[in-house]
Amino acid sequence: MAVQNHARDAQNLLRSRLCNPSFVFKALSGSPDSNYSKLKFILSSSVTEACNNSLLLLGPRGSGKTAVLELVLNDLLEEYPDMISVIRLNGLLHNDDNCAFKEISRQLCVEHHLLFSKMASFDDNSQFLIAMLRECGLAHKTIVFVLEEFDLFAQGKQRLLYSLLDAMQSITSQAAVIGISCRLDADQLLEKRVRSRFSHRKLLFLPPSTEIIERLLQHILLLPMDSTLPNDYATQFNTKLESVLADERFKEILKNYLSSSSTINHLLRFLFVAVSSIDVKSGYPSLDNFKTALSSFRRQPKQECIKDCSILELYILACIRRLESKEQKSYNFNSVMKEYKSIHDQFQTSDDYARNVCLRAFERLLQRDLICFSDNRGQGQSVEFRPVKCLISHFELQEGIKAYRSCPVSCFLHYGFCYSGISLLAGVS
Amino acid sequence: MPSLAVSRSAEEPLTPQKRRLRSNSTAAPETPFSSPTKRKSPRRCLDSTPSSHSTRNDSIEPISNSSKSPAEELSEDFSEILNWNPRDASQVSAVKEALHVSTAPPTIVCREEEQRRVFDFCRACVEKEQSGSLYVCGCPGTGKSLSMEKVSNKLIEWARDGGFDPPEVLSINCTALTSSSQIFGKIVENGYVKVKGTAAPLQHLQNLYSQKQQSSSSLIIADELDYLITKDRAVLHDLFMLTTLPFSRCILIGIANAIDLADRFLPKLQSLNCKPLVVTYRAYSKDQIIRILQERLMVLPHVVFHPQALELCARKVAAASGDMRKALSVCRSAVEVLEAEVRESTIRLRSNSSLNDLLNPLQVKIDHMAAALSKAFRTPVIDTIQSLPQHQQIILCSAVKFFRGGKKDTIVGELNKSYVETCKSRMIPPVGISEFLSMCRVLNDQGLVKLGQSRGDDKLKRVTLTVDEADINFALQGVRFFRTCLQ
Repeated sequence: MAVQNHARDAQNLLRSRLCNPSFVFKALSGSPDSNYSKLKFILSSSVTEACNNSLLLLGPRGSGKTAVLELVLNDLLEEYPDMISVIRLNGLLHNDDNCAFKEISRQLCVEHHLLFSKMASFDDNSQFLIAMLRECGLAHKTIVFVLEEFDLFAQGKQRLLYSLLDAMQSITSQAAVIGISCRLDADQLLEKRVRSRFSHRKLLFLPPSTEIIERLLQHILLLPMDSTLPNDYATQFNTKLESVLADERFKEILKNYLSSSSTINHLLRFLFVAVSSIDVKSGYPSLDNFKTALSSFRRQPKQECIKDCSILELYILACIRRLESKEQKSYNFNSVMKEYKSIHDQFQTSDDYARNVCLRAFERLLQRDLICFSDNRGQGQSVEFRPVKCLISHFELQEGIKAYRSCPVSCFLHYGFCYSGISLLAGVS
Repeated sequence: MPSLAVSRSAEEPLTPQKRRLRSNSTAAPETPFSSPTKRKSPRRCLDSTPSSHSTRNDSIEPISNSSKSPAEELSEDFSEILNWNPRDASQVSAVKEALHVSTAPPTIVCREEEQRRVFDFCRACVEKEQSGSLYVCGCPGTGKSLSMEKVSNKLIEWARDGGFDPPEVLSINCTALTSSSQIFGKIVENGYVKVKGTAAPLQHLQNLYSQKQQSSSSLIIADELDYLITKDRAVLHDLFMLTTLPFSRCILIGIANAIDLADRFLPKLQSLNCKPLVVTYRAYSKDQIIRILQERLMVLPHVVFHPQALELCARKVAAASGDMRKALSVCRSAVEVLEAEVRESTIRLRSNSSLNDLLNPLQVKIDHMAAALSKAFRTPVIDTIQSLPQHQQIILCSAVKFFRGGKKDTIVGELNKSYVETCKSRMIPPVGISEFLSMCRVLNDQGLVKLGQSRGDDKLKRVTLTVDEADINFALQGVRFFRTCLQ
């Protein structure tokens, strides 16, 4: 009983860690050539030496750009209180220049306890920005502009970018501009005037290497000794976990999972499902947790639908596939029935169903979204005449039929005769 | 980080002092368009000419052809004492500040000819109490706005000395205008004229200039002039036509990037025989860049850059764009590369003997500069492709193979088929269609592939490669798997 409580507490602790990006990325901040240290060096030199800097953070979504930046900014705000003010803009929200300037003025007013007027014009806002930059430069406060979705700011006339970067060229201002984008060619999207004013510093957030992943796993999953959990439970948990992590099969699972997307966010989602599936009765993690997590991510929903289909429905799907292979672009229930009849005339199988039974099966396929109507125009017509299209790919259907629990050989054969190149006959077990 | 903490504590007493000086001063004392050979202090100059370097580095040939004078040779002994110490944070920050774009140099070298032309033109206008228009064009980063500032200051000085009325200077950056016709409002409100009644600014100016004699001339510098170009080009025309009115005394200087702006957008002025004078700022050549960098580094008492490193930087930047901002930024990041190296070696070796420094003077050498150049000029595409997860790399390979036949775009469904074939041929289980779609979306977000819009089925979206096939080949050639794939 106690073990179950401890297991639940451990699960909660691990899950809260996984949902906290600053905890996760703290593990990566140790080494000197990590992105965290480079970013921190540039920003702190900007604050202490009062030189203006601009840089871009590039990397796929979920690789931790915003998280690392927030970590660096929090650390700098602790080290130099009152010397940094942060203005945050997002390309999705503040795409328009007017809107962006208004937002900058509003945030500056909030930071410095001034009154913000919504009626201020674009001109007033830009004058205000220049004046604030000058004032903060004299007072030795650095303003850090964080522009998320940087590539969206590069649409249109790029006036905001030009004004910000031009203001940084003057000696009276003390500012840093950090752009965050997932497009690798974000700086090629800039106009040549803006690109000339932008210093070409880029920090690439590449997917983590195996050592870093191992370090991350240990950092996140090992229970700390000084938490509310009893020491012996925690040590037992950690030993079991380390034996799982060292297992070759675990490494295989991880490699398999990360072969389609290897960002840190993706890894965290995997760990979350694995942690959630820890069996509270046993109380300790095992390799099966990770296997369950992998299979839950590798689900093929349409293929699972095939498992629940009846034989007749499989026949109908096979007929539809045959029609497609004959380059017939649009087909409806009547053409499918014609094909069905032709198969039966050709092969004399025993599975011959009446038309209304087939119509029922057809409607069931429509409900289950394995086929759908190709357009919404013929609402008044009956189901038999409206053209349909198939929503499941040939490959998935093939796999589904192969995995079907008791598929009759005839269905297999019929499906196999669709494509001359594929010899499913060889695969009939 | 220990080194950063050290630098901070060492800097605390220094920086406030330094900053106060910076913020209180305006531009450094003006010197006219003097030739760069005018030095401030003999010792300082001799230390930082390219020909003087530490006697230890005998293998390097000096860039300049001038032979060393005996005085220079004597001072080389002094240069050992004044070696730049990159471990001292204040010296490093002094270097970085000297190389920062916002630090305006006291003299602007390599632009004397252009500045002289503009200055002569303005002077003639003020003397004859006439108006005129001038168009300055050139690539970004060639010193246009900077020289215009200097010229306007010089003009005011000259006018004061010569007994003329100094012209009112109005400097506008046209990106700050919400609509292009606002420029007239700015001229009116900023100048000496008062708006009488409710006349629109443009009409007011036109009336003013065609009616009475003005008391003093005005100098209008319009930066980024191409923001004023509208479809009917009315604003640009009207602006330049202000100088053609009989009683106007305004000198208009327009700055933009396009060389043929005057020809393309102001044909009417040609017929009125008052086309603006065009001054072109060519992109900097390699020698000019070296000269400018040396001029900036002259304020420092140490030799910071190895002469060959400066030459490499100048060559690369001149070949690429001739943009001075880029050269300065590359030099600064080279200093940072050296800083990082010094920090790492301090952590590793823990040796800080000054004798060591004397024997191997720490300067920014060619390898630091090469690292900084590669960081500035390289696109991150190759690195990213090499670090993509395996299935995304397979998608790129199958796209390359698919598009080799001459087609340039296809739909996702076809690409999926090609991807499945590639996977099967390599005995790798392919992922399902939904995961394939999400991988395509990830590649689209990164800009490697472009996904079109499709109202209905996701599988009908059009997909094209935006990365060159050569880049993908180059990035993946190291992996045997993909080499055979791409054959």
